[in-house]
Amino acid sequence: MPPPMMKKPRFPAGPAVAALCAAGLVIPLFSFDGPLPPGNRPLPASVHALVFGRVVLSPGKELDKATIILSDGRIAAVTTDAAIPADAQVHDMTGTTIYAGFIDAHLSLGKKGALRADPIEEDPPVDSRRLTSGAGMGFPGAPSLANGSDANSLVTPQLRIARTYNPDPEQLKALRAEGFTAANVVPDRGVIRGTSTFVSLGSSDPDEAIIRPDTFQHIALNVPAESPDADRRDQPEAYPASLMGVIAVVRQSFFDAQFQAVDAAHFAANPTNRPRPSISEALTALLPAARKSMPVLFEPGSMLMVDRAMQLSRELALQPLMLATGQEWRRPDLMRAAAVPFIVPVDFPEVPTLPDDDDWLAVPTDQLRAWDQAPGNPALLRREGLDIALTTHGLEKPQQFRSNARLAIARGLTESDAIAALTTVPARLCGVADQLGDIASGKLANLTVVENGRYFDPESRIREVWIEGQIFHATPDDDKKKNPDGNAKPEDPDKPDKPDKPENPEKPDKKKELEELRAKLTDAPAQQDRGPLLSPPAVFIKSATIWTSGPQGRIENASLLIVDGKIKALGTIAPNDVPKGAHVIDRPDIHVTPGMIDCHSHSMIIGGVNEATLPSTAMVRVGDVVNSESETIHQQLAGGLTVANLLHGSANPIGGQNCVIKLREGASPEGLKLAGAPGGIKFALGENVKQSNWGDGFRNRFPQSRMGVPAFHTNRFTAARQYADALAKHQRDGGPPVRRDLELETIAEIIRGERLIHCHSYRQDEVIVFLRVMESFGVRVGTLQHILEGYKVADEIARHGAGASAFADWWAYKLEVYDAIPHAGSIMRERGVLVSFNSDSSDLSRRMNLEAAKAVKYGGTPEEEALKYVTANPARQLGIDKWVGSLEPGKDGDFVVWSGHPLDTASICQETWIDGRQYFETDAAHRRAAARNTLRNALLAKAKTLAGDGPEDAASDKARDKFFRRSLEDRLSILCVDCCLDHEMPWKN
Amino acid sequence: MEKLAAFFLALLLPAAAAPAGTLLLRGATVHTVTHGTLTPGDVLVRNGKIAAVAPKIDEPADTSIDLAGLHLFPGLISASTDLGLVEISSVRGSIDSQETGQFTPEIESWTAVNPDSELIPVSRANGITHFVPVPRGDLIAGASGLMAARGWTVEDMTVRRRTAMHLFWPDHSLTVPGPKASKKTKPLDEQARERAERVRTIDQFFADAEAWEKRPAGSPVVPAWQAMLPVVRGELPLVVHAQGLREIRAALKWSASRPRLRLIIEGGRDAWMLATELAERKIPVIYSEVFSLPSQSSDAYDVQFRAPSILQKAGVTVAITESSGDSASNQRNLPYSAAQAAAFGLSRDAALAAITLIPAQLHGAGDSLGSIEVGKEASFFAATGDILDIRSEVRRLWISGAEQSLASRHSRLAERYRTRPTPPPK
Repeated sequence: MPPPMMKKPRFPAGPAVAALCAAGLVIPLFSFDGPLPPGNRPLPASVHALVFGRVVLSPGKELDKATIILSDGRIAAVTTDAAIPADAQVHDMTGTTIYAGFIDAHLSLGKKGALRADPIEEDPPVDSRRLTSGAGMGFPGAPSLANGSDANSLVTPQLRIARTYNPDPEQLKALRAEGFTAANVVPDRGVIRGTSTFVSLGSSDPDEAIIRPDTFQHIALNVPAESPDADRRDQPEAYPASLMGVIAVVRQSFFDAQFQAVDAAHFAANPTNRPRPSISEALTALLPAARKSMPVLFEPGSMLMVDRAMQLSRELALQPLMLATGQEWRRPDLMRAAAVPFIVPVDFPEVPTLPDDDDWLAVPTDQLRAWDQAPGNPALLRREGLDIALTTHGLEKPQQFRSNARLAIARGLTESDAIAALTTVPARLCGVADQLGDIASGKLANLTVVENGRYFDPESRIREVWIEGQIFHATPDDDKKKNPDGNAKPEDPDKPDKPDKPENPEKPDKKKELEELRAKLTDAPAQQDRGPLLSPPAVFIKSATIWTSGPQGRIENASLLIVDGKIKALGTIAPNDVPKGAHVIDRPDIHVTPGMIDCHSHSMIIGGVNEATLPSTAMVRVGDVVNSESETIHQQLAGGLTVANLLHGSANPIGGQNCVIKLREGASPEGLKLAGAPGGIKFALGENVKQSNWGDGFRNRFPQSRMGVPAFHTNRFTAARQYADALAKHQRDGGPPVRRDLELETIAEIIRGERLIHCHSYRQDEVIVFLRVMESFGVRVGTLQHILEGYKVADEIARHGAGASAFADWWAYKLEVYDAIPHAGSIMRERGVLVSFNSDSSDLSRRMNLEAAKAVKYGGTPEEEALKYVTANPARQLGIDKWVGSLEPGKDGDFVVWSGHPLDTASICQETWIDGRQYFETDAAHRRAAARNTLRNALLAKAKTLAGDGPEDAASDKARDKFFRRSLEDRLSILCVDCCLDHEMPWKN
Repeated sequence: MEKLAAFFLALLLPAAAAPAGTLLLRGATVHTVTHGTLTPGDVLVRNGKIAAVAPKIDEPADTSIDLAGLHLFPGLISASTDLGLVEISSVRGSIDSQETGQFTPEIESWTAVNPDSELIPVSRANGITHFVPVPRGDLIAGASGLMAARGWTVEDMTVRRRTAMHLFWPDHSLTVPGPKASKKTKPLDEQARERAERVRTIDQFFADAEAWEKRPAGSPVVPAWQAMLPVVRGELPLVVHAQGLREIRAALKWSASRPRLRLIIEGGRDAWMLATELAERKIPVIYSEVFSLPSQSSDAYDVQFRAPSILQKAGVTVAITESSGDSASNQRNLPYSAAQAAAFGLSRDAALAAITLIPAQLHGAGDSLGSIEVGKEASFFAATGDILDIRSEVRRLWISGAEQSLASRHSRLAERYRTRPTPPPK
């Protein structure tokens, strides 16, 4: 009973059609079923009866010995007792299992999927300069398009695969041979990439094949140009070059699309009395996604970006789906919270053969874990209650799909879920559930026919697929047998056919053993040894020397009581006041201080510390790229650190927005953030912003001298003031809408006093000039960072009211720090400046207390005041002293237990507590390391057993290369001082 | 020829002019390093050398100084640094720490030490009396010298021109595909071949040096081979710079077949894993990695803090240095690297020896520097407390009996701006 639909005749892709295409003739579309013109092969009758097969109607629903009637490309009936129409060709399906035709929800045809024409030549992309600043102007010397060419724009929402789809018939054949009958073909370049197209795999003629022209808008939240490019460092890069820059670009693009629509509407109503609006095809193309009428498929470069994509979706009112990264096992909690469907590749890494056994020493534990965990990823997402669709994406050849999917099944993915992930789920996600996904009358006649068992049985094989009523036989057997990869390469005379692998037929048991080993998970759950060690209702320190960094000063033989994460009392506490169940710390000679606070950190940031491209990147936010998974959190907790001010680098006069976190190890990126902390932003002066040490390729961006820096600041603040005025005027008087500009919006927040400037500053001249420029805009600077010559202008700083967050004793690493002295902190304090010491380093942040001790040594800051440099003072500078920085009743239960005097090098940090929870303790830390070592050894043993042997022998080079790819969140944070230039350093192992 | 040979063999220079007469330091807590701690003790200096160390010395002296309440330590010796070779690490014109070429044994680091470097008084102000500038390079980089942190000229400063030859062991890690690798990354097997080739290159160089040793007298002089002779003869130590387990292991394996070499491992991040073998073969370690981050996420947070203690307890001789990055400007923090090791298991005495006596011994000055004992140079300093404690201040400092100024660029700038009049309000 086919629904009454307009139908197109199905052309068998016969020689006649091919000849027509080759001749460049337009194939006429017939609006009715009539005979083809003479000379064409006449169309056959299109009724088929598939009898005696086992029919999987939908996952988990089966009919045995059923009959499927196909008519005119659709399923007419499915039943066990249907009468077979007289004109039907009858096909005996005995011994086969018939599934709804498989769908690949994320097919990237790569370079081979030849585009018909370069779409960029047809439509102008978004000029990313427009994404960065008001009035659409760029910054001199700062390229804002990759390689300075429009063809490489990263923002191309207007790119439609529907316009360019022109597949290689051989690629389609290979997919059909694996059982696929339809696919969503995706764009694969850039940040906002364009729209995918849902196609039938039965025809390589795009007009024939396209079922749904625009399926999703695609957005990649990844570090751009991650592909290796050796010369990258010598030349300026285009905006955006960091992950946080990418996120800012996505936000600005959507705001621009919305603005363009509003602006156009205003123009339509006021066609004569306002400037004509500009019209960008690219932004127009983004509107359906912005209006939720087209889903957005996010391709996160890190599994943490799943969470970020969800927040973007909420902010921008998008309808999101995710492409799985393969690393979701790291944070199942975030995936569950996302509660969106995932399209899941099965391109699992495989262990390579390493030249030398010792080479395994260099393999990071995390890489071994990722390899071990990968096949469990699809099952894990299902366990978290998420819909998944599987895809061949990322595989070198579609032939690897089935064996890898089998591995996923061995790790707990149910067969029925796996089939759903190839049929019903992708059909629904791609909006074609009325046409595809299950075997039911009225659906398109797409079927995947498997013989010799079910699809995921090791011995089974695809016999044929049906696509819209047309049969495609699988590749003949002899082709396949030659090479298990199905890769029938012509014989290479120089390369004997793998003589080193004599198939070892006598050892099928060994092979099976290895397969079983691979299928078994060795690793422990990723979050198992993270999170607080103790979360007692109350903590009681019986007797200690307590350095309050508050009004009570240092108190001897004092007690401290924390209840529900907050300090209840300190000093003398009656035993009766200690709640039952309190955790009691009762050791002799201990000292207790507030948790250490680092006012300048670049740890725990993924995808680049600097958006170093433009001179102003006020629109980027470190808060978008907090790395909750870094091991540095544990290491810094071990030194008593509890709060860090994560700052953008100092590559530009106006950098990105900061993020203040608490080191609640194991929490999500959002969970790390210190709620209520005022917003801030990084500024910078001096050598870094004028690119003095960047190399000869960097001599054009404004500013190139210290003269240019105040000019630049004045310019942007003036622009921001005008922007704010324009917004206010629009609000008051109406008129043409004002484009939302994320850069100027941020600077306007500074002018309004809502955002603190943390300015990297060195030389006294630039410091004074900067303060004066800010004063001219009525802005009081939050902190001067590093402030190496601050001691020369301490009075000016004190009068302005800026805090000073200094290095304790770094100097001489650049010309502008030749006059840095370790007495700076003491001198500035004496002259009334609020002083803190910072680390700018994932090493120094492990011993902030010892940095503070240097203020005692140089310049004689009293001990209690010195400790405040890393506790109360940075808290005040960051505007978070309501909660942290000192031990006072009502404040957060953040404290450190030291074995002795906290400024003595002989003392060590024994315990670190945040919010009344214990996050570090020495014995627990050693137990954790021992357990991890045991795990590492087990993983190494497994990897070595499987390396280059057994089932992995069939693994592709791509899968082996993938083994070496470290996840974005695992790449270690860096050890550097003044790290501002080292935007490449995070890649360092 | 003879002249050249004399030049190379006369390693120990005549001591710079020492102040004549006697100096008596009274009442300090004397940390002798070799003979325990005297609380208090007196030290008598005659002609720049230590003449007596005792709880009480009654001998009259030309000068007598009361150091009651202060702690007297032997001068700190930086066992490996680029102090003197680098002024500002981002300004190329001020950097002389590295040469080009794989085999430059004739390089001598003392020749490029800038006596007027502002960094030297800054280091001295925290107790550093001697330092060893190390030439860097690819494979055999040259010889380090031992310098005193005082003198009008580079010759004044130089205590020993050649204390050790430095071999930078090739990195054994492979460049694997990934974001950092360029498209030109070679296949792993090829990289492994090249790696083995580099080790063979080193071995061949030493074989050639040994062959040179046997050349008949009167053969033409080749400065590079001449410079290698004391190394292959075991007269000059060979410092092998290696961090990872496999690099250190490879260096140990290679050197086992050349028993005359006097090996020292420098860097030594993973040396603790090979503590037993290092102890058995009496190979000392100059450890620079106290503050390096753990290299694996499965390592304990304090693995690098504890390494010196593990090595020392296994019987390995351990010196401690500041980490190699920006080490010139940070030499004053040398005692705090040792202090961290002490907080994590190393005995306080061993920590102090690791920055005094042991560096002196490793660089051939064990009989003249590194402790407060009779016969040694009077190079020491008086501090307000334990030098391993950051809060202690160095008050007075002597090198070979001559008291040195503790002023530096830093103290001058501090003084100048501390006294800056408060400007009137604008």
